[in-house]
Amino acid sequence: MGQVILKSVQKKFGDLEVIPNLSLIIPKGSFTVLVGPSGCGKSTILRLIAGLEDATGGEIIIDDIDVTHLEPSKRKIAMVFQSYALYPHMTVAENIGFGLTLAKVSKKDIQKRVSEVAKILQLEKLLQRKPKQLSGGQRQRVAIGRAITRNPKVFLFDEPLSNLDASLRGQMRVELTELHAQIKATMVYVTHDQVEAMTMADQIVVLNQGVIEQVGTPMDLYDFPDSLFVARFIGSPKMNIMEGEIAEKYFCQKLGVRPEHMEISKEEGLLNGSIRHIEKLGADTLVYSEIKGYDTITARVVGNLEMKIGDTIHLRFDKKHVHRFSNGNRLNTQF
Amino acid sequence: MPAHKLLGMALRYLLLIWIAMIFIFPIVFMVISSLKPDLQLLSDSSSLRAFLPVGDISPTNYLSAFDRAPILLFIFNSVLITGITIVFSLFLCSLAAFSFVFLSWRGQGVIFAIILATFIVPFETIAVPLLLIVNNLPWIGLEGIKNSWINSYHVQIIPFIADALTIFLFVQYFRDLPKDLIEASRIDGATWFQVYRRVIMPLSGPIIATAAILKFLMMYNNQLLWPIMVVQEESYRPVMLGLQYFFQLNTQWGEIMAYLTIITIPVLIFYLLLQKAFIASIASTGIKG
Amino acid sequence: MALPACLLVFTFLILPFFMAFGLSLTNQRLVSPNPTEFVGLDNFKKMLGVSFLIIEPEMDEAGHIKLDNEGNPIYPRVRNFTRNQEDFPQFYKKREWFQLGLQDGKVLVVLSQDVVFLKALANTMLFALVVCPVQAGLALFLALLINQPLRGINIFRTIYFAPVVISMVVVSMLWRFIYDGQNGLLNTLMQMFSFGLFEPIDWLGNTSTALPAIMAMSVWQGVGFHMVIWLSGLQTIPLSHYEVARIEGATRWQTFRYVTWPSLRNTAILVMVIITMQAFTLYPQIQVMTRGGPLDSTQSLVFQAVIRGYEKQDISGGSAISVILFLLVLSISLFQRYLTREKN
Repeated sequence: MGQVILKSVQKKFGDLEVIPNLSLIIPKGSFTVLVGPSGCGKSTILRLIAGLEDATGGEIIIDDIDVTHLEPSKRKIAMVFQSYALYPHMTVAENIGFGLTLAKVSKKDIQKRVSEVAKILQLEKLLQRKPKQLSGGQRQRVAIGRAITRNPKVFLFDEPLSNLDASLRGQMRVELTELHAQIKATMVYVTHDQVEAMTMADQIVVLNQGVIEQVGTPMDLYDFPDSLFVARFIGSPKMNIMEGEIAEKYFCQKLGVRPEHMEISKEEGLLNGSIRHIEKLGADTLVYSEIKGYDTITARVVGNLEMKIGDTIHLRFDKKHVHRFSNGNRLNTQF
Repeated sequence: MPAHKLLGMALRYLLLIWIAMIFIFPIVFMVISSLKPDLQLLSDSSSLRAFLPVGDISPTNYLSAFDRAPILLFIFNSVLITGITIVFSLFLCSLAAFSFVFLSWRGQGVIFAIILATFIVPFETIAVPLLLIVNNLPWIGLEGIKNSWINSYHVQIIPFIADALTIFLFVQYFRDLPKDLIEASRIDGATWFQVYRRVIMPLSGPIIATAAILKFLMMYNNQLLWPIMVVQEESYRPVMLGLQYFFQLNTQWGEIMAYLTIITIPVLIFYLLLQKAFIASIASTGIKG
Repeated sequence: MALPACLLVFTFLILPFFMAFGLSLTNQRLVSPNPTEFVGLDNFKKMLGVSFLIIEPEMDEAGHIKLDNEGNPIYPRVRNFTRNQEDFPQFYKKREWFQLGLQDGKVLVVLSQDVVFLKALANTMLFALVVCPVQAGLALFLALLINQPLRGINIFRTIYFAPVVISMVVVSMLWRFIYDGQNGLLNTLMQMFSFGLFEPIDWLGNTSTALPAIMAMSVWQGVGFHMVIWLSGLQTIPLSHYEVARIEGATRWQTFRYVTWPSLRNTAILVMVIITMQAFTLYPQIQVMTRGGPLDSTQSLVFQAVIRGYEKQDISGGSAISVILFLLVLSISLFQRYLTREKN
């Protein structure tokens, strides 16, 4: 349930055009992640869907209903905020049930619904606490609980994990994905963190300055980035982008090779230089090298590496792993 | 602690205490004198006995003060006027501030700027024209229609309900509240009034206390010029006007002291109990700088 | 939602404010047989107009300056100029405000039609001019004193602030006793501390001491208020700034001069403006203590506005004073804006 369609949506703040013209289909039941650098308009899109901002032009349709001019509460959506936005003066139970209280649902029914939701999120023991007495992860769950209570067609998440520490973030990623599998609602999730996008989404929308760069599954985006922007944005460490002689050899302006596709070679080749920095991550090792004629090139090597900073290094790659770009766009033709 | 540090500490305390005495002596003098008969009061004030409860100490002055003026009535009037003004002020000014901060409507900026500008209009400069206005305003009360507000409680209340400072304090406070909370409650389906009542107001405890205390000080302590102008009937007079009674026919200083004590000590006790809030409220007027 | 409060502000603050402006241009009285007329700036001309008259000592036939019994030169009476309408129409109905001795025994006499107003204006300005720096300075001193980490310091803060919560009316009544000429506490204490050398003064009954006495009392009542504002400014200064200064070996004065004071700039401006505004609206003290006397030495603008607008029922005159007062306050607050803007 819950298909969201944006038709030529525009948004201006005064003279500032944040979303010039954007059309997007968010399929029923999908976990769609809007990702992009800060200021790319991803949060604005979410707030337009929520109705917290009015669109300057275009239409927003949720399940065949034009909601463009409806109040947020009438759109059958729920939102989880970055700050969680829990009401500090209410208990967890009151926070979760506030929407129902406003809708004048009977106390008994509210209680029933709240305990159902609390069970899903394992909040039963915390219901009488105030937000102040909860940990970050617990607050996060309460915020999600409040969203679930409304039984919405679409869940909207605005960078919900950015206030958590790294280990908790990993755990919440798993929990959110499981929750999605369990309640099968449409989820729209905004983040600037491409790792979150890759790990959770079944559809990723990459945004740049209010314009969609690419829409696709995580692996689509990883293997076939449509543009230089997507190529740089998805994947960590970043794809190596090379210009000049080497790009000309491949008949393009810019040539991209992911670090894991760079190999260390014994003989001199196209890419020769010295090691600037080595990061040993255990399972694999990242080697940053100063290559003559190019910027720093990153290579990812499985396992340990018996080399040290300053050593001479030669790098090579297989031509089947190259990404070719001209004028910022992918070249798909063979060469 | 080394000796020179101990000495420095002692000197600091000495200075603090000496200054404290400057601030406290008139208050002590007031309370002590209120317990003395006039003759002793006057003779004592030529020595340090003025600050000591010695000699003929009795509550006589208080008893005769109550005979001379309807003190309880005045206190009732002052408390009533101040109390009602505070309640309405908190409600209407916070509501206005809410609208300025969270709603957007045409002309909002201009109107807020005009209200802020009234901040620098001293009340005394508009007292006379205000008198002309209230003198010609009709009022429908229990006794029927009157064509003037003179001699009433509401003439001492209504003009003082809305003021720039109170609105401004609420606006400042509301601006610092997380916007997410309001948006979350909008998504939860709250109407604007519900957002105000169920989300914003429960979170505004500190600023409500601040605004209430400032309003209290402005109202209770300053009921002089305006009541002089608009209240001729005894039954609506606030405490500050009660002083006049003590200057008619053989003025008794002890009685005056007793009266001053009666109208001041409750405020001082109130202050001592809530001193943190009092001081915080004054400090908050400074933060905007 | 803003409507009720806005309506109240407009009816009871903004409307009377504009009425004051309008009325100041008329000759309206509360009860008058004549219809109200528009008189333009007449009220202001009457109040603010001054003329200058230079008088020379009287000479005898031989050209020597006439002296009185005490050896002082004799001057013609000012009355001769103000009443001789035909020769000196410009001095008609005017009274002497003050005299200023010039060279060669000449005397400059400043005449005005409304001496009381000018005295009130001068007193109010003087009051503000003295009270502002004194009160702000003392308040800062107290704030620095209170800002020390000493045990029980909050008790002192509570005491220093206490007068603020007491009504100015009550304070003024109390200080009437303290300033009393015969049995006043101040005289008693002064005599005690000077071992009897001090001559008792009737503080409020004396033209030279009445206004200073009121100033001192006003400072006493209000200094705690501004102490707290300074204090809140002081407490916004991070502790680390002081720690850095200590490590760098700054003396206490250097710490104040280079760490504390620069951070207090905006607080300083705010304190000055609040005190100035309060000082310009000097009223309850005058009403309770002196009613403008002795000899108009404690007249204030607000007190005059009330006397004229209310007691004398001269609404236009009172309004004109209000307008002048407002313009004064306005220029102060514009000055403040200028000061705060300059930095950004």
